[in-house]
Amino acid sequence: MGRTDLFSKALSTKVVTKKYPFEPVEVPEGFRGKPIIDPDLCTGCGACANACPPNAISIEDDLENSFRIVKIYIGRCIFCGRCQDVCPYQAIKLSREFELVARDREDLVQVVKLAMVRCSLCGKPFTTIRLFMKVINELPPESRALATLCPSCKAKVSAYGTSFARR
Amino acid sequence: MVSIPHRKSIWVFHLNSGACNACDIEIIDAITPYHDVERLGVKLVGSPRHADAILLTGPITIEALPKVVRAILAVPEPKIVIAIGSCACGGGIWRDSYAVLGGVDRLYTYLREHGIEPPITIYIPGCPPKPEAIVYALAMVRGLVEQKQKKIEYIEKPSIEVVEYIEKLSKEAKKDLEKFFKGIEVR
Repeated sequence: MGRTDLFSKALSTKVVTKKYPFEPVEVPEGFRGKPIIDPDLCTGCGACANACPPNAISIEDDLENSFRIVKIYIGRCIFCGRCQDVCPYQAIKLSREFELVARDREDLVQVVKLAMVRCSLCGKPFTTIRLFMKVINELPPESRALATLCPSCKAKVSAYGTSFARR
Repeated sequence: MVSIPHRKSIWVFHLNSGACNACDIEIIDAITPYHDVERLGVKLVGSPRHADAILLTGPITIEALPKVVRAILAVPEPKIVIAIGSCACGGGIWRDSYAVLGGVDRLYTYLREHGIEPPITIYIPGCPPKPEAIVYALAMVRGLVEQKQKKIEYIEKPSIEVVEYIEKLSKEAKKDLEKFFKGIEVR
């Protein structure tokens, strides 16, 4: 290629620069963007928090106000999509959002607070109402009483039950 | 807009604090003619003394910590730190490693312990972020676009029927269990 050819090619090439911040841009198909929890579907089961490699999703129990707090900090998320794969109710999904710039750390947080069920014996909250209702509808009526107990009370009650049965 | 002095052209210094190179490649991509941040007045400079902003990548390894602190101190005021990638924003998958500090937040607690006021910070999450996200962040610093991210908070209010049903169920359960374990305290 001679010098004139190169020059004419350079002239014939149009501007390649994108006008991006002033014009929207399309993301490719299958792009994994910001994970968003659908608060109407989430049950607070904790599968996503278990699967998350960088622990961007955390689950805490607020025992005083009886709330289970599902918190996702996108600043730590690596956008692997495992939460989306393991979620049994398809509540968390990776959107196509990528303009996640924030001035404050708190702007990158999504919080979902789910109401909890209190144990019928000790009064300690132990599971969310949504998860409880999903389980209780599957159970036969005679065993629903045990479902209202927290795991430690359930263990004590079953232990008493077996010791009485032996006598 | 982030601050009034940064409305004009910002010159950036690229500081790698132990990143895997993915974020660095995206920064280079943002500088190439395809995205071309130079049309926003952003220029890559070779020394922090010439820079207005630091493009910080990586989870800040213990080995890199003194160099990072010196580079941040060398930037003249008013300075700005742009944390690029999940590692720089919150530690990423290295958050618990003994070899890293884990993100700018822990760097700032370290700086505060040593009596240094931390600079303004812009977070760009992504692993790595798209070059468009970096261009968007630099445009946001210039005041050309607005921040899109907001904190989302949802508090569930369960319906009264469900609450009454659960209360009824637990009352029945308590009665049943007391009948079954008569004379024995279950605590």
